[in-house]
Amino acid sequence: MTNLEKYNQAFVEALEISEDQLPGLEYQGIEQWDSVGHMGLVATLEDAFDIMMDTDDIIDFSSYEKGKEILSKSYEIEF
Amino acid sequence: MSMDEVIEMLLKGKTAVVTGCSRGIGKAILERMAANGADVFAVVRRESPEFAEHCASLSTEHGVEIQTVYADFESEDEVTAAAKSILKTKRQIDILVNNIGIAFPQRMLAMTPMGAVKESFQVNVFSGLLFTQLISKSMMRVKQGSIVFLSSSAAFDGGSNIEYSAGKAAVLGVTRRLAVELGAFGIRVNAVAPGLTDTDMGRMTSEEVKTIALSRNIMKRLGQPEEIADAVVFLGSDLSRFMTGQVLRVDGGLL
Repeated sequence: MTNLEKYNQAFVEALEISEDQLPGLEYQGIEQWDSVGHMGLVATLEDAFDIMMDTDDIIDFSSYEKGKEILSKSYEIEF
Repeated sequence: MSMDEVIEMLLKGKTAVVTGCSRGIGKAILERMAANGADVFAVVRRESPEFAEHCASLSTEHGVEIQTVYADFESEDEVTAAAKSILKTKRQIDILVNNIGIAFPQRMLAMTPMGAVKESFQVNVFSGLLFTQLISKSMMRVKQGSIVFLSSSAAFDGGSNIEYSAGKAAVLGVTRRLAVELGAFGIRVNAVAPGLTDTDMGRMTSEEVKTIALSRNIMKRLGQPEEIADAVVFLGSDLSRFMTGQVLRVDGGLL
């Protein structure tokens, strides 16, 4: 599984959405991605990539696209 | 099975994190957690052969695992590093006890340096919050856990100096707010508010304050650390599974 597939799978699992909803998806843009969903998503991503996200990154993680940027920049995950 | 055996197994299979457990109430909490079957991450300020020996002895006696973690709670970097070292073990944390605290001698606000107020809040409030922010992630994953904060009767009656009374009152606000926030994750958050207790910190209290405190105490005595620890064990255990956002006052009945 590629990193992008793992990343997408984390969203699909944690937020219970379909993959076609991912492009352009923003925090609080759908009911499931509230603060509770956000922490579930973070936990799923941490497990998927075996990382521990810093609090500042959890706060900055404001969209599907921004998340990729953060994982690339701070955790050396290539997409 | 006797009631004693049932009580001894309250925390069997659970993993707890206890801060500030090298002496006083924290040490009693560590001992009661171990006696009740919990594996413990014991977070203390500095390494000492006596404490290491004590942990080894508890571990052998009760068949539990005790891992020591070192952090000075005046330093946010050390608090973060301690929490991350615990999370890196990938052990599911069932119970977090935020016990660590410092106290300064009794004095009026007019004679209190602001640096002391900030230092007190850093250890008694902010570092506990930061540590909880990080450790609670382990609980959020599995949607269960129990967090216990140590407040104080001083939060209710102003029975200590300004920084301690105010800081311990802040802990109550933290407890209630976190109970609301973390309830969605099945995590309970409660506090224990001890009265004057027979510890090194309790003995720092002036005779005048002690006399006043005991005159208002129905049981007319200091609390013992184990009596506070038992309340913490109760809140950490499933016996309190329908309690959250609450403060247990363990103070001999202060009026």
